[in-house]
Amino acid sequence: MTDPNTPQQPPAATPDAPASTEIVTSGAPAEGARAPATGFQGGGRGPGRGPGGGGQGGRPGAGPHKRGKRNYVRKKKVCRFCVDRVDYIDYKKADALAPFIQERGKILPRRMTGTCARHQRWLTVAIKRAQNIALLPFAAEM
Amino acid sequence: MEERLYDLIFICRPDTPEADIDKLISTLEHSAAEKSAKLEKIEKWGRKRMAYRVHKLREGFYVYLAIRSSQGELIKELERRLKVADPVIKYMTIRIDEEMKRQQKLAKRRERRAARRPRKPAQTPGAGEQSASAAG
Repeated sequence: MTDPNTPQQPPAATPDAPASTEIVTSGAPAEGARAPATGFQGGGRGPGRGPGGGGQGGRPGAGPHKRGKRNYVRKKKVCRFCVDRVDYIDYKKADALAPFIQERGKILPRRMTGTCARHQRWLTVAIKRAQNIALLPFAAEM
Repeated sequence: MEERLYDLIFICRPDTPEADIDKLISTLEHSAAEKSAKLEKIEKWGRKRMAYRVHKLREGFYVYLAIRSSQGELIKELERRLKVADPVIKYMTIRIDEEMKRQQKLAKRRERRAARRPRKPAQTPGAGEQSASAAG
């Protein structure tokens, strides 16, 4: 009797968690309640655990997580200059160039702004010209 | 010789009287005329805050000139004058005709495409009708 009981208890370890919480809520009759509970539920779980545990721990648990990862699609950035059909980026309009530099004065990379390669090329030239004539800073001043 | 287009921007000290700046511009214009070049645009942007300090100054009086010239010598001459001029604290000349050419080319291509695009759907039903009538 003791032998079959002891192997039953360890497998029931995970479902023990709800049982223990029940005990805590019930409070006083801790030992008396536990012994029959494990005995009854252990027998009941034996068949129930197979499909239930597999269902919980295996596919459905991992499924939503993976799906969530897969569903995460970054919003595609569009080149602002392409949208506006810009053929020439004017270095004289420093206000228009300002969004493409960092606060410290660095030119923002393409991956941050979504600018296309061609327009980024023109943009860098325009920014550098503007810097030369003090329309834009080379670096932020202290 | 082919004509070239330049942008010339120079910055004067903010405390220079505007009469002096006008005088400076007129001398530049004069030397440009000597080389048979033309100042297409003369814009005084006025006092502006500079992005960084130049000659310990935070502000400057910006003047913008667009020059069409066929002689590169002129730029040398203008820059020499600006270098010598006392009120000028900074100047920059840029050749922009190639970029303008590129811009015009792109604009033209876009126009052509835009002209072609709406015609297409109009043409295809017309062509379809014609072929249908021919078949009938």
